[in-house]
Amino acid sequence: MSVALPIPVIQLLQVLTVALGAPLVTGVIAKVEARLQGRRGPRVLQPYFDLAKLFRKESLAPEAASWFFLAAPLVAVAAYLTIPLLIPVLTAYPLPLGYMGDILGGGFLLSLASFVVAVAALETGSPYAQLGSSRAKTFSAITEPVVLFVVFTVALLTGTDLPYALAATVRSSAGQVIRPAHLLASAALFMVILHETGRIPVETHTGTNEFGMIEEARSFEHSGPYFALLKWGSMLKQMILFTILSDVFVLPWGLAATQRAGDVLLAIAALLGKAAAAGVVVAVIDNSFAKLRLFKITEYASAAFLLAVLGVFTLYLGGG
Amino acid sequence: MAGAPGVYVGAANAIAALMLLLEFGMLRQALVRDQVRLYAVQSALISVLAIVIAADRNLPDLYALAGLSAALKVVAVPLVLRRLLPGSVAVREEPPGVAGSHTLSPASAVLAAIALAAFGFFSFGELHLGGPGAPALALAIAAAMMFVAFGLMIIRKDVASQAIGFFSLENAISLAALVVAAGLPLIFETAFLFDLLVAVVVFGMLMRAHHARAESLSTADLTRLRG
Repeated sequence: MSVALPIPVIQLLQVLTVALGAPLVTGVIAKVEARLQGRRGPRVLQPYFDLAKLFRKESLAPEAASWFFLAAPLVAVAAYLTIPLLIPVLTAYPLPLGYMGDILGGGFLLSLASFVVAVAALETGSPYAQLGSSRAKTFSAITEPVVLFVVFTVALLTGTDLPYALAATVRSSAGQVIRPAHLLASAALFMVILHETGRIPVETHTGTNEFGMIEEARSFEHSGPYFALLKWGSMLKQMILFTILSDVFVLPWGLAATQRAGDVLLAIAALLGKAAAAGVVVAVIDNSFAKLRLFKITEYASAAFLLAVLGVFTLYLGGG
Repeated sequence: MAGAPGVYVGAANAIAALMLLLEFGMLRQALVRDQVRLYAVQSALISVLAIVIAADRNLPDLYALAGLSAALKVVAVPLVLRRLLPGSVAVREEPPGVAGSHTLSPASAVLAAIALAAFGFFSFGELHLGGPGAPALALAIAAAMMFVAFGLMIIRKDVASQAIGFFSLENAISLAALVVAAGLPLIFETAFLFDLLVAVVVFGMLMRAHHARAESLSTADLTRLRG
């Protein structure tokens, strides 16, 4: 398999890997979680069947909702599918569109997707959907400082804020892996991801209990293909966050260094493996800690903030 | 653009940072049992750090110190501390007056301690004490740890947590001593360790006396004693 793939094809493959791999990772997590709880659990491929079923159903919208209600899921998925162009998904070398935006650009796209879904939820007038979107916005404001400090750490470590540059820096030597700034920033990012994917500290991501609902509540009024897009969107978000964690921060190894088809295929398999491994870790953590009460979320955020701030501190004296 | 330090220095700094994080853990931990556990882990880390430095700079003395320090701080002090605390060990009952002795909510306590840590960190950083052999970062982290330990002693209203804050303060000083003067003769280092034993006994007696008089470990009850 020494056929060299053209660059645009690899770029397209980055998006396709995330788009088609995300339900698989979700399925693996659901299976592992079921095993941990002593159930047999759904098939690993079940999310694909769920999405296929929802895409075939009719869709209804509340009477008061405007066109925005229907456009929001499309915008959200479009935003999520743009991010894989900006981050190292399959290749260790930067692809041409990779410089289109930096980490902040990716962050903006993630927030844009979350924002349009929240606005669409507000349009419905349904109390649960409104509750979900208001909670989601409030808590993302609390975790935002953590993300900013993680970005500062990356900027101080590499002199840029490009995800490709950080991955290359981490790969360059063992000293870069073990330095406190890197470890602290990775740990802070992991805590944010646990929160953002609806695991810890308060949310039950599959539950129907409105006390533990943040993200899940927002899609209450959508149905049919639009609901499928929202579900797919949250799978994509999880996959993107796992990709950033593993390919940029924690495990930037196993990426293709060449354009050869064999290498790229290997990188696809490696990425799915890494994302599934991250998912297993997340599921184990999710199932071994008790959920906190809603207002205790600041304690969790303050712990993550501590890690991120110390990461920046340690860099200031040199040798962090 | 910050160049990465070597693996040994990086590991030393990472261990120091982990110790600082454990200090924050003690700060926000509600139960004294868990605080003692965190103290034991922190003390174990300082032994690991001693081994790393010993391996890096070829100082065989430090291996002995690491062993001695582990025996004392990981095993003996936590054991004595748990024995000295009033309340039965067998039923794992929390001593009276410890739970809920926070004067700040955990999130605010952490934010306040971040400010304290920043002060300690940057004021020591300004001193430029780090020589070629001493990682300046680990020293500054030790300073931050001292300030956080002080903060812990200030914001908690029970004697048990204050004692643990004091012992972890000693850990911070050991950390500073280890990174600045790793080649110190073994006899001095051992003498420092025995100082800790004295402190443990004194604090133990203090806790016992306070409990006997006020039937609580909370210092808030001391205000009742005013004439």
